Amino acid sequence: MPRFILPLLLALIGLILFGQGAYIHAKALLAQVLLERAFEKTIATGRETKPWSWADTWPVARIEVKRLGARAIVLAGSSGQALAFGPGHVEQTRDAGERGVAVYSAHRDTHFAFLKNVVIGDEIDITRHDGRTFRYRVDTTSVVRFDASGIDPLADGYHLLLSTCWPFDALTQGPERYLVHATMIADAPGSR
Amino acid sequence: MTTCDEIEADKRSEQPRLVRLVLFFVMQGVAVILVGFAALFLSFEPVWSAERLQSAFLKPGDARAGSLLLKIDEGYADAARLGIDVDLTVSGPTVRARVTQIFRNPSKDWVEAIYVYPLPAGGAVDSLKMVIGDRVVVGDIKERQQAKIVYEQAKQNGQKAALTEQERPNIFTNSLANIGPGETVLVQIEYQEPLQQSGDAFSLRVPMVVAPRYNPAPVVQSVDFKPEGGGWGLVKSDPVPDRDRISPEVLDPATNAPVNPTRITVRLQAGFPLGDIKSHYHAIETEKLDASTSNIRLVEGPVPADRDFELSWKPAAEKAPSVGLFREHVGDSDYLLAFVTPPSIEQAQQKPMPREVIFVIDNSGSMGGVSIVQAKASLIYALGRLQPNDRFNVIRFDHTMDVLFPSAVPADSEHIGRATSFVGALQANGGTEMVPAMRAALSDNSGDANYVRQVVFLTDGAIGNEQQLFETISALRGRSRIFMVGIGSAPNTYLMTRAAELGRGTFTHIGSVEQVEERMRGLFAKLENPAVTNLVAKFTDASADITPVAIPDIYRDEPLVLAAKLDKLTGSVEIKGRIGDRPWTVTLPLANAAEGKGLSKLWARRKIADAEVARTTRQASPDETDKAILALALEHQLVTRLTSLVAVDKTPSRPSGEPLKISELPINLPAGWDFERVFGERQRVPATQTERRADTEEARVQIAALKRAQPVVTQAPSTVTLPRTATDAELKMISGVILLTLSLILFVFNRRQMSLR
Repeated sequence: MPRFILPLLLALIGLILFGQGAYIHAKALLAQVLLERAFEKTIATGRETKPWSWADTWPVARIEVKRLGARAIVLAGSSGQALAFGPGHVEQTRDAGERGVAVYSAHRDTHFAFLKNVVIGDEIDITRHDGRTFRYRVDTTSVVRFDASGIDPLADGYHLLLSTCWPFDALTQGPERYLVHATMIADAPGSR
Repeated sequence: MTTCDEIEADKRSEQPRLVRLVLFFVMQGVAVILVGFAALFLSFEPVWSAERLQSAFLKPGDARAGSLLLKIDEGYADAARLGIDVDLTVSGPTVRARVTQIFRNPSKDWVEAIYVYPLPAGGAVDSLKMVIGDRVVVGDIKERQQAKIVYEQAKQNGQKAALTEQERPNIFTNSLANIGPGETVLVQIEYQEPLQQSGDAFSLRVPMVVAPRYNPAPVVQSVDFKPEGGGWGLVKSDPVPDRDRISPEVLDPATNAPVNPTRITVRLQAGFPLGDIKSHYHAIETEKLDASTSNIRLVEGPVPADRDFELSWKPAAEKAPSVGLFREHVGDSDYLLAFVTPPSIEQAQQKPMPREVIFVIDNSGSMGGVSIVQAKASLIYALGRLQPNDRFNVIRFDHTMDVLFPSAVPADSEHIGRATSFVGALQANGGTEMVPAMRAALSDNSGDANYVRQVVFLTDGAIGNEQQLFETISALRGRSRIFMVGIGSAPNTYLMTRAAELGRGTFTHIGSVEQVEERMRGLFAKLENPAVTNLVAKFTDASADITPVAIPDIYRDEPLVLAAKLDKLTGSVEIKGRIGDRPWTVTLPLANAAEGKGLSKLWARRKIADAEVARTTRQASPDETDKAILALALEHQLVTRLTSLVAVDKTPSRPSGEPLKISELPINLPAGWDFERVFGERQRVPATQTERRADTEEARVQIAALKRAQPVVTQAPSTVTLPRTATDAELKMISGVILLTLSLILFVFNRRQMSLR
């Protein structure tokens, strides 16, 4: 039946590709569940807790946008491996709540897909691994190149930057990044 | 009958239509997939490269090297070129260099000349003299901004003025205002530098040309941060605002005779009977005055300034002195310079720890020509030296990057064979994105404490974003040690030495293919033998300000070099450390120190380097660093990042009303470099580049770093590089669905045909 080989082959490749794509999403979703647990434990014990035994990263913060019902657990580091599971805290930037700029980065099609719905004035809550929560308000958004972000991590004031790839609906990698910039307004009530 | 026939006919005509339809779908599907993948792997249009298009005619704005630049508004005047005279005096532990540049203005205009030149990274520049006709004007040290104001004022007034500024610790710029038609001007720089010692050999190096650098230029595309952002926001401006002023033209050696004739003389007063004296890249003539003194000059007379000059000498005795102690009294302080070479102790009983060696090789365009040959030979030699119980990996980079093995592999013959053929096939091309390669080399995934982790980094260091690399090393070095191997005729020694210092390793220079084996053998002695660690120096009586603050580990055949400022010259200094697992102590009585020259400046220069390192490692804030550097520089009259030398002739010479023109002079391409590899096909074409990172499953991202050597004058702003944040999930899913649909159509079609039969 040579005439069936072609459609079967196509079906197989199609399934593999689709599976790979779905796997990325599944990984991102499942990891967040595990990360949520690990993060609760981190807050409770005050120690770095790995979400699974072979993980090379650990949860450091939780991002929450109440208006959109979006939340995500941030991992230490922004390597490709870490970003597959959750947003990453970009190296050499400050922690949330510290003076300077905290930069969190995540994939536009998984964890930070909600960024396209974030508008100026939205409030973003960051819970740190020590249990403290800080509230930021979005004041600008912009598009920059990945190597020309112009971010000075030691800048004055208390800033938060969420970064993801731009444009949102593109299928391929690009050099541009979408930045949501927020400034701290207060320690959220009942955080301490 | 008829109806039947009609049906038959209908079927027949329907069949090809269906085939055509299916074919159409197949083609469409294939096209969609192809386009999808092409988009994934190919780069986008370089829409952000608008700033590249500025130079329509061959402006010198694309390469930097050391020489006087003569530029006139309409293009280039056929200006007389520069003559350089380097006069070196070695006395004891230091070398004093006097570099004289002779510049003649052959044009009929008044000109301002701008001159970019290299000096050794450890050199302390403390003197600027300008000789115009029979007048000598001596420069003063001032804060950089202030010096610039003084210079600009003099320029306006028609006075002759000279300004020496530091762009990098090893790159300086001189500006000369108001040189009259037909006039000749001499610019004289003096600097002090400690000698290099390695094993029995002492050496000095005079850089002659600043190699064209690759700058991963951050070009901002669009910005809309809040205006009152309190100083944070986006850098909209050119990272190198004065690039045209300081970018000399690099002459294509294929079509131009070499320029900038240089004469070198060395007065060598070694302080001990001299044995073998060797110049590595130039033919020399040695005149022996007495047992320990020689005069050295170049055989051919003046040579083109296109490669570094390196001179090394050995004592006549079997062993070089292993201890040197020198003092100088300046003001009310004493300065001390100590050289101590720890003994080589074999670890007899204990087997050395196995090593995990990560080799990184730069195959960017600047490595074209003989450099890549040297680098490949060095790396292949190194692979052959690995022990079977070692582990290794190989990373190659230009603007893209490849990691040979997913993680470090055992050094067995199969892996070595694969690595050797990988290295053998490398071609030099493209830009130099060094930071991602360094990150990959430092990512220590296994963290196996049974292995000593070493990174051997082979490059010419021709990049402008040095600070970014230093910050990467300081943040990610972990337990890895970084051994820089400088390749080629004019490597960036500042980058090499500072990177090795931050990475707690060493710097080895390989300037020719013949040196590969000897130098790599030396490097492997350092890699394989235990370092001298936990070093501390203590003065018994005097209170001392010692530099380096934290004494780095010392590798085989290297001396410990220590500079100190003392309140009194009594007692002794005790140096303690561990060689492998054995303690080691040496005590030097200060009374025995010999008189030396310029030690205070070397101490200050070293302190300034310490302050810069502290800033890089975030141990000191930028403000504290600047304050410390400024105080040291002003006290010791040194040119630094924050201070400049300025000389102003009192009498105005340019009549008011005469216009002043800016003059630039071209320079040579470093010897052994391949012009086309650096600048493209004899004309600069904007090249788009791709970056490939090994640590993610995604393939390539287009980056706008342009293959363009840009002036390396200002430090790249320390900015955060944002990670890549797109997955190909959607692309994969869409192409998957397309393929599935396609197969379904085919399947149904086949079934139908089957059932029809």
